[in-house]
Amino acid sequence: MRRNQNTVAFASSVKLGPVTHTVLVALMITVLGLIYLTQATKATSYDYQAQKIDNKIADLTSTKTDLEVENARLTALESVRNSSVAKAMTTTDDTQYVQQ
Amino acid sequence: MDQRTLSHKRIKLLKVLLIAAMAIFVCRLFYMQVLQYSKYHALAIEEQVKSLTIPAKRGEIYAMDGVTPVKIVLNENVYTVFVDPTEVVEPEQIVNAVRAISGGTTVNDIDQLVRAKPSRYKIIAKNVSRQQAEMLQTKHLRGLGFQKTTRRVYPEGQLASQTLGFVNAAGLGQYGIEEALNNQLNGTDGLLRSVTDVSNVPLTIGDQNISQPAKNGENIALTIDRNIQSYSEQVLANQVQSIGATNGSVIVMDPQTGKVMAMANYPTYNPEQYTKVLDAQQFNNAIITSPYEPGSVMKTFTAAIGIDTGTMTASSTYNNIDTISVAGAPAIGNATRGQTGTITFQHALDWSLNTGYVTIADRLGGANNPPGVATVNAKSRNIMYDYLYNHFKLGQLTGITLAGEQKGIIIPPTDEQGNAFRYANMSFGQGMNLTMLQVAAGFCSIVNGGKYYTPTVVAGSVDSDGVYQAKPAPQPSGQSMSASASAQAKQMIHDARARFYAANDKPGYDIGGKTGTSQTLINGSYDNNQTVGSYLGYGGDTAARYVIMVRVEGAGKTYEGNRDAMPIFTAISNWMIDYMKLQPKN
Repeated sequence: MRRNQNTVAFASSVKLGPVTHTVLVALMITVLGLIYLTQATKATSYDYQAQKIDNKIADLTSTKTDLEVENARLTALESVRNSSVAKAMTTTDDTQYVQQ
Repeated sequence: MDQRTLSHKRIKLLKVLLIAAMAIFVCRLFYMQVLQYSKYHALAIEEQVKSLTIPAKRGEIYAMDGVTPVKIVLNENVYTVFVDPTEVVEPEQIVNAVRAISGGTTVNDIDQLVRAKPSRYKIIAKNVSRQQAEMLQTKHLRGLGFQKTTRRVYPEGQLASQTLGFVNAAGLGQYGIEEALNNQLNGTDGLLRSVTDVSNVPLTIGDQNISQPAKNGENIALTIDRNIQSYSEQVLANQVQSIGATNGSVIVMDPQTGKVMAMANYPTYNPEQYTKVLDAQQFNNAIITSPYEPGSVMKTFTAAIGIDTGTMTASSTYNNIDTISVAGAPAIGNATRGQTGTITFQHALDWSLNTGYVTIADRLGGANNPPGVATVNAKSRNIMYDYLYNHFKLGQLTGITLAGEQKGIIIPPTDEQGNAFRYANMSFGQGMNLTMLQVAAGFCSIVNGGKYYTPTVVAGSVDSDGVYQAKPAPQPSGQSMSASASAQAKQMIHDARARFYAANDKPGYDIGGKTGTSQTLINGSYDNNQTVGSYLGYGGDTAARYVIMVRVEGAGKTYEGNRDAMPIFTAISNWMIDYMKLQPKN
């Protein structure tokens, strides 16, 4: 017996033929393919979520724009001048200054 | 042949057939995927990859409200409502719903359009608001569609319309700041190139995706103060209507910075309804696009030149005989007669005597002519031209960022037309074509210590978070005259107003001004039956805080500076004192 040589060897009782090997390799390729497809689909599903969020942002931006326009219209000088509040105001007197 | 041999033969045949079929497939695939790669790749890209333009948002425009910028030009989301008549099943319901919800934005022939088969696209309402579009969508009307777009809105209506301009149907800025800064306001569209699904949702798969965000246009803050602008427009419109003039303009400037605080024109228009304007002249900002002969307001410039060159002071005298002859041309006379004898140039300014200012022009060249005679020699003309053109920057573009500025003209003495008679006329504001902006900007330097500031309407920008970024404080672009000469000229202008019109002003403030009544050139000769009324003045406390120039005119009508234009100056000046919270001297 040579030095460092294993003294015990296990031999599998199951013998795989070439057809089984081929099937197993095909199965592994299929599993890997499925994993790839799952990941790709998952990434795509994020796209739909992102699109939904983008749409929401666009809607909110649109609402903000509309509100800004409405605000600008309501605070325009002409609107303010014609408002009931402005009409109820009295004319101010000239400012008087005192010397200290 | 036994059964076993036959079976083997069939298997072999099947093998051959299968191999042959496979070979055909392989060859075909090789042909399609390798030899025809480019063609099918392009077809696939065309089918799967979509390029979407991300429109840039046009920059908004702000005006000042005191020291705070407020939006006066915005973008609004609106919708174009269309129908596909081939899809419409309930035309009457569509017509009723659109009319009820969209109201005045509905097109007139909607009844025919919804039934206009076989057309697949007919617009039935424009500029529908988001709320209206949402209400229509809730009705689930088959064949009805919406296209989102934006439009420019001007919530202040007519305010500063000629300064702002408008955006036409093609999205191009026209007139005013909209045209002058169109590229800056427009921004740059972005691009999204991506593989999409059937609903056009961009997907991250693929290696040729491009996502280039849009660069929105810059938000511009103007130096225009909306309160001053509004008040100026109001006063101008009232006065123009009351005197029956057809046109009028007012400019208000800050003489310490060159910032334009108001530019009002009459008649005016609403930029949101620019398509309804019948006379395109209304789009023009006459303050920068219509040069004219300003008349006697220019005597303030002649006085400033005379003082700065050491030719005269307010108390210097000359002998007034109410007319003065120049180089053998027809004598120039005073509009107001009787102030004859030895009088000061201050007196000549108070009474707006042309002879006094022709005399100053004459004396610039060192002449010492007898009363009623002037030569206005080459030296005089060169000095005048140098001051008017180089020091006060008259007769040239100021460079203000507004579309359509005209440079007017100051004819140089080297020109055949730049003779003594013309320069004698120029001393009192005739024989030259200047815009109100040029005159007001030059006048600012007369009353601010001699510092010429390039006039501007752009105060700064507002970033996407709404934070105002002011431009650096303006620096003088030239020194038109010495500070001491400026102080003397300012005092003369103050005294000229105070002599007759002090009662109109709030006491305790430094107010000065000069009237101008200029003849207009019609068919080559001056017409006394059509005159333009002008007024140019300043106001302030310890320093000049505002400069106001007014012009009123009308075809075939005579308008005078003191009677027709000055009331506008007075009203705005007194209002400005309160608005700017100026404290009286002493």
